[in-house]
Amino acid sequence: MLTVALAAVAALAGLTGTWSPCGFSMIETIGGPGRRVGTSCAAFAGGAVAGGVATFGLLAAAGQAVRSAGAGGLLVAAAAIAVVGALGELRGAAISPQIRRQVPEHWRRSLPLPVAAGLYGVLLGLGFTTFVLTFAVWALGAVTFAVGRPEVGVAVGIAFGAARALPVVAIAPLVHRPAGVRMCAALAERPRLLRTMRLADAVALLLAAAALFAAQASGARLAVGSDPSAAGGAVAWTTAAGGFLRREGEPGTTAIPAHAVLGGSLIAWRDGDTVHVANAADLSAVLDVTVPGVDAVAISDEWLVTREPGAAGDELTARLLSAPDDVRAVATAARPAQLGRPGVDGSTVVYHVATPTGSRIVAYNLDAGTSRVLRRSRSALLANPSLLAGRLLYVRQTSLAQLLELGPATPGARNRILYRLAAPAPHDAGHEKGHSSETRTPRPKTAAWTLWTSALSATRAYVTLLPRTRGKLPVIVTVAR
Amino acid sequence: MPELASLTEGLAASTSRRGFLARVSRLLALTAGGGAVAALIKPGEADAFHFCGHIYTTDSCPHPTGLPRIDAHGFPLRAADGAPVDDLGRPVNGQGMPIGPDKQPLLDPDGRPLPPAPRSRVCQEGVAERYHLHTRIDGAWYRCCGGHVRKLVDCCAQTRRRINGDGALTGYCYAGRRVFCVMYYDTKIPC
Repeated sequence: MLTVALAAVAALAGLTGTWSPCGFSMIETIGGPGRRVGTSCAAFAGGAVAGGVATFGLLAAAGQAVRSAGAGGLLVAAAAIAVVGALGELRGAAISPQIRRQVPEHWRRSLPLPVAAGLYGVLLGLGFTTFVLTFAVWALGAVTFAVGRPEVGVAVGIAFGAARALPVVAIAPLVHRPAGVRMCAALAERPRLLRTMRLADAVALLLAAAALFAAQASGARLAVGSDPSAAGGAVAWTTAAGGFLRREGEPGTTAIPAHAVLGGSLIAWRDGDTVHVANAADLSAVLDVTVPGVDAVAISDEWLVTREPGAAGDELTARLLSAPDDVRAVATAARPAQLGRPGVDGSTVVYHVATPTGSRIVAYNLDAGTSRVLRRSRSALLANPSLLAGRLLYVRQTSLAQLLELGPATPGARNRILYRLAAPAPHDAGHEKGHSSETRTPRPKTAAWTLWTSALSATRAYVTLLPRTRGKLPVIVTVAR
Repeated sequence: MPELASLTEGLAASTSRRGFLARVSRLLALTAGGGAVAALIKPGEADAFHFCGHIYTTDSCPHPTGLPRIDAHGFPLRAADGAPVDDLGRPVNGQGMPIGPDKQPLLDPDGRPLPPAPRSRVCQEGVAERYHLHTRIDGAWYRCCGGHVRKLVDCCAQTRRRINGDGALTGYCYAGRRVFCVMYYDTKIPC
């Protein structure tokens, strides 16, 4: 939805660029008599798309790096920028800041036309190297940076470059024919056309702003409950009144057993010391296993993973569904260290190890019997991971913030922040009463909630919010990936 | 000749009144070095430092709850009440488990204790990791603050830049190390 909205803005912004000095120049240059028009049009279009992808892709990548560094709340800022751009377009205001540069004229004389056209296309596709005819270009730059998703930036760049090239490619071959002359005259002599395009830009920007607000608001509450799990387009969670399942994107819930988790095509839940495994589609029984003290479960189509108390502390064990009597030790932790709720995808288990000297997210390959540390910190609490198709979702808590991070399930990979809460505990003023307040000691707000267990689906991420004050119930929020 | 800072700080240790600290500092500076040096320590500057006993502008070491209060081993304490806190700023019990206002462990919805977070020594581990410095505590000074003797502790490193971003001073650091940031430890000794 967001990608489509921004691509639409980009396409309209690219079309609006036709009215620039460079846009007109390209039509006349490429369409000149006796020129290699077809080849030049292709080169121009390719260059424009490449330029668009370079600009908006890089802006998005830079935005992603900034978001990885901890900046949050950028979607609201992006939406505000889109609204401001739309207001400018609605008023038909003069573009400011304006870039009063044109492509190098001498290229058309000194280079073969296809080469020059290709280079001209790159410059026009870059967007910010020549005259800007709509606030939408500036807004797109800021929004793609704020959204910080390279795939969105690439889509925006392709749409912008293609739309920038389309009028040129369409009119240039006809420019010396009556139809082409009429089209050029219409472009040049009917300012209403440009005004209409700018109004369209405004509408598209407002729609994009709405999509951005929706994306921000999607970090909204799913339900009261905790311990979400997701598989097969559904999400399950548990409450004091039992478990619930919801198909993603559909209203309504289905009652399921408490403490149920989804994985692959299966569902598993614990009831006392018994773990039940069933088909998620119809709850038909697959397997019952007794695991004394079991307090957490994860399931895939091949494996059942459980956490139970051992003599020294937490233990994680795994069972092949085809051979449930073959119990394999995955990990143990001596108190006060804790093992987190496991998550399993295929044959890979992820879990956290939290100790007073550090925390880490570990992936254990059940087939190979090997483990590796995916994330590690000596100061932050890294907890409650989920895994799906090589993507790792987990919670990072520091003294300043709580983050829900998504990144590749490879050691030390960079993450994207999907959701953020304020500090997990109160801070003081950073200075003593009656003394100077001149200190750089940060004083973050304190969150009312603590980020807890997570789940990851193909399109969304889920996280439990535990209340910091007694008497409140935990809730689950969901955000788009 | 001992550093001016050390001399002024020595006198400052005899009082908890910050205005008096400033006046004494200025008097000593006048005696020791004349007007030019005294001009460096104006009345009021000593009032300007952000916690009692601290007489220069070096900022606090990063601390989970703000004010850089530590225990005898350098681990963070909440300034308001001296409660041990982890690196997230949560009060913790002796095992490092987070606890609530009632001193009971915080629990998840299933009744399991929430996991422990790391608890790092503020200077030797926290500052070292965050700023990639080899940090250590060299010396310290004591003053009377709030009716108890307070130990002012410098976090030292081989650095020319302090946490404020400008030049670092020698303070209570030795062997070429300089003060990167400051902390304090409140004793139970009345004064």
